[in-house]
This record gives sequence, C-alpha cells and structure tokens, in this order.
Amino acid sequence: MASREINLELLLGCRVFAKSGRAVGRVEEVRAEVERGECVVTEFHVGNYAVFERLSAYSIGRTILRLFGATRAGGGYRVPWDVLDLSDAARPRLLCSTKELKKLSESGED
Amino acid sequence: MRVDLIRDVLDKQLVDRNDRKMGKVDGLVMQMREGEPPRIAFIEVSTITLARRLSMRLGKIVARLSAKLGGQRHAAPFRIAWSKLTLTGNDVTVGVDADETPTQDWQRWLKRNLIGRIPGA
Amino acid sequence: MKKILEIALGLVTSIGGFLEIGSLTTAAQAGAAFGFELLWAIALGTACIIFLVEMSGRFAAASHHTIPDALRERFGFDFFIIPLTSTLIVNFLVLGAEIGGVCLALQLLTGIGFRWWAIPVAFVVWLMIWLGTFGFIEKGASFLGLITLCFVVAAFMLHPSWSEVGKGFAPGLPAHDKANYWFIAVSILGASITPYLYFFYSSGAIEDKWDETYIPVNRIIAGSGMSFGGTIAVAVLIVAALVFPRMGVTQVDSIDKLSQILTPVFGRWGVTLFAASLGIACLGAALELSLTQAYLVAQGFGWNWGEDLEPKEDAGFALAYTLAAFISALLVVVGVDPLKLTVFSMALTAATLPLTVVPFLFLMNDERYVGEYRNGFLSNAVVLFIIGLAFVLAVVSIPLQIYGGS
Repeated sequence: MASREINLELLLGCRVFAKSGRAVGRVEEVRAEVERGECVVTEFHVGNYAVFERLSAYSIGRTILRLFGATRAGGGYRVPWDVLDLSDAARPRLLCSTKELKKLSESGED
Repeated sequence: MRVDLIRDVLDKQLVDRNDRKMGKVDGLVMQMREGEPPRIAFIEVSTITLARRLSMRLGKIVARLSAKLGGQRHAAPFRIAWSKLTLTGNDVTVGVDADETPTQDWQRWLKRNLIGRIPGA
Repeated sequence: MKKILEIALGLVTSIGGFLEIGSLTTAAQAGAAFGFELLWAIALGTACIIFLVEMSGRFAAASHHTIPDALRERFGFDFFIIPLTSTLIVNFLVLGAEIGGVCLALQLLTGIGFRWWAIPVAFVVWLMIWLGTFGFIEKGASFLGLITLCFVVAAFMLHPSWSEVGKGFAPGLPAHDKANYWFIAVSILGASITPYLYFFYSSGAIEDKWDETYIPVNRIIAGSGMSFGGTIAVAVLIVAALVFPRMGVTQVDSIDKLSQILTPVFGRWGVTLFAASLGIACLGAALELSLTQAYLVAQGFGWNWGEDLEPKEDAGFALAYTLAAFISALLVVVGVDPLKLTVFSMALTAATLPLTVVPFLFLMNDERYVGEYRNGFLSNAVVLFIIGLAFVLAVVSIPLQIYGGS
C-alpha cells in the first residue's frame, strides 16, 4: 500500500489548531535534516503567517510588518514532527499544548 | 545538514547535470511514515503543481489540459527523487540530463515545429 | 578600466527605458503648459530611478539572481503571480505605446499612416532580438540614441534664462490650473519610475555576467546612464517651454503639434531630427520591453533564457518575446492612439509600482541574497519614500486622470 503523501507547498500557510480547537498560527516553514541522500523532516514552524511571512524572519521585514500591524510581536512555535497531527492535511492539529512547545526566537531562526 | 525546506528548496532554480536550467522546484512531496518522522521523497516540477498552489480546481483543469496536449506522460506532475538532488547555495542541481525528463518536452516541440523552422534560430 | 565601457548597459537602459514616448511627451507637455515650473518633477523622477537601477545592478551582481527569479524564489509562486501578472499587463500596454511611437516617427518621415507601420516595426524589433546578441542591442541602441542630444543642442541655442531654469528645479505650487499641473507631475514621475527599467537592468547585468567586482562601477553606470536620460528630458522641457507658448500652443496633445518642437531651431531638419529621436528612443524601449516580458516569464518559471543563446536553445524564451512584440503591436494596428495609450499606461504604471517596489525592498535587505551589500539606511529611506510617493501617485493619479487630464 502506498504511504500517505502530503504536498508541502499546499501545507504552507495552513492554519494549525490546538487541542481546544483554537487556531495557534499557520505553517511557515518545515525544517529537515539531510543525511546520505535522505531528507527527514524534524519540525514544523508555526507562526503568524501573513502574505509576507517568508520575509518576517529578517528584521526589516518584521519592522515594516509591525508598522502595518500585520504581525504581532512574539513569533510562533517550533512543533516537532511527532506532535503535529496531519491525519487531516487541511486541518493540522497539535497533539500537545502550546505551553510545551519551544518558541521561534524573536530575531528569527539562526 | 539542516535545511529549511520552504526557504531553501521550494521555488528554487533547478539545474541539470550540464548546467542547463530546467525549471523551478514547484512542489515538495512529503511521505508520512508510521512511528517515524516524515521524509521528503520527491520534488515536483510541473505546471499542474503550480496551478494547484493557486487553486485545487485550477490544478485539475491544467492536469486535464496537460494530458490532452502532452499525453499520459504529462497527465500528472513530474517527480524527481530527493536522492538525485544536490543543494548548492544558489540552486538545486539534479543529477540527470534535462532532455531525459518531460520538463523540456514542450520546448523541444517548439524547437522542432516552430522556433527551429525560422531561419537564424 | 574596461568595466567603464559597460556604461553601455546604463546608457541603453536609459535610452530605451527612461527616454521613450512617455518621458518625451510629458516633458513637452510640461514645458508647453507650465514653462520651467515642473523641472523638479523630472529631477525627482531621475533621482528615484537612479537609486532603483543602482540597487537592481547591485542585487544582480551580489546575488547572481535577476529580480524576477529572486521574487519567485523568495516569496513563493503564490505571491509572485501577482506582480508577474500586473507587470505583464502594464508592460503589454507600454510596449504598445512604444511601438506606436516608432510608428508615429515613421509617419512623420514618410507620410504613411502610423497603423500601417505596426507589424513591420514589430517584425524589426523581433528580428533584432532574434538575430542579435545582448551586447549588440546594448551598444547599438546606446550609440543610435545619442541622436537625442539634439534636444540639448536646441536648448542651448534657444538661450533660456538659466536663472529661470534653475528656479524650476525647486518644487513649487502652480499659479494656475492646479489639477492639470499635478496630473502632469504625476505623469512625469510615472514615466520616469517604470519597473521594466529595473527588471531589464538586473537581467542585463546577469547577461553581461556581472559579479561583485562590478558593484562600484555599477553606481557610475546607473548614475550616468539615468542622468543622461534625465538630462535629455530636461532639455525637451526647456525647448518646449520656449517654443510652444510662442506658437500659441499650451496643450501638446497631437503628434502634429509635438513634431514642431525642433522646427524653430533646426528649420527644415526640425521634424526629421524629432522623428529620428522619437523613433530611436521608442525602438530602444520596444526592444527592452519585449525582452523584459520574456525575462519575467522565463525567469519566473525557471526556463533556460538569454539573449546570447540561440533561439533554439531557449525556445520558450524566444516564443515569449516574439508574442510580446506582435501582440502589443495589435494595439496600434487596431488604431489605438499611441499618445493616449502612453498617458493611460503611465498612470497604470504609477498605480502598480508598490507591487514590485515593496518586495524589491525586502530583497535588498536580505543578507542571503545580497550579503554585505545590503541596503544602508539611505537606500532604504529613499526606497520607502518612493513607495510612499508611488502609493500617493496611485491613489491620486486615477481621479486626476479623469478630472485633470485631457
């Protein structure tokens, strides 16, 4: 049986929900480890995805976005692969509470 | 090596083993595995993938059109296995010849039937 | 330093990009209606485009990407489709106006109606790109474009009061006809700050294989190239200010009136020189625009591209510029007035500037692309000012078009 496939470019920008049903942010980035020709996903970054979210990791982007009120200071969360439930790819859900998650740092991922 | 897939791979220029441009990384196919972290199995290089990013319905329309114009080979997005890729700083290099892939089919058609027939090409 | 010979890229971008039917007609109109009062608008437009073009060259040299390529890569296809579509549409209209400009020039020289020239002109544009190399187009257009210096000669021969000219560079409020004044000011800025200029320049820098070592000389190339265009536009305004009011003309809205601009200075040769200047400038613009349409599409989708490649090596790219030239020519064939099309497309350019300038600003600050060559505070401030100005233009120009325009 073919294993389930998800197209990442369609996951980008999808809203992620907490166990309570509250929206906690949108999928901004997918981090992976590449070793010996294999690419393995390690975590998902869930943040305040605005149209320009692919920019907000850089200070000028954040500053301007904040000027326009398009982003709240405080970034988002790092969600390890085993804590994001993708059984419904259109409605990713957290399997733990946001308190247990590491935050995306203010100045963006290093 | 750590890679941010959206930032460093998606929409990046694809280059074949002869340094010829062969499109961009239009999509990334993530395979879910029981009890193991998901892996990126393929990248997709296709207008169908692009259309789908804008709207699912547009994707279906482009898929039908693509099949009609290009035959079965073009009915679904063209995929390249991750293992064939090398991430350089600037682009994503594929260890194949662009002409061996369906990505150049339409330009080859153009070359044969239109562009190539005009003097000076 | 051999690199300084690369000034040809700056010149051709200027001649085709800056100096074309839009800047020529707005400068003439400004001179006829308001004397020297709108020189500041040309100066401001020139300063703005110098910054944008310099950034475009620096970006290409430092990142080895062209702007369209980087726009898709950085912001994703979903966003990229927006500036891509808007730019393709605006360029389609502007290209129509430029082809129309060449046709009007030919009409002046031969008496044959401009509509008949549309397809032949499109064919010549296509042929030059098809057979030529980037270097050929760059240097050919630059060299021929020097004919526009006749306006500078005319400006001096008319002995303007240079102190009056100087005053015109200070922005001021008009004594009369406020709506028309601001409309022309907006048109001058829209004609000067055109996105296809910096798209073309970044692609040209990659065609010319620039690397980091070109960054210092890029400043000179961008500066002098765009200043050349600005100087000619200033000269056109001065000549128009001295020539048209004396003829009793304050509205230069037809090619017959416009073509008389050099007659007082050059007599019989006036119309010929004007037609040659208009024709060559618009031909340069048509070449640039056709190539830019192809660059946008090919680079956005990752196809093989390059003016130096043979068409069969980049069939998609070749098809794109071919379609661009002929489809825009259809606008002229069906009889759209090139002067009216120019005015309309400049307002539309102004309205869509933010869509390309804002993402460009982000690119210029992204270390992953430009590394140590990222924008300093001054460049960011100037671009933010341009974006603000562009936005005001966008909001203001459309109603002004309806209320203040002809």
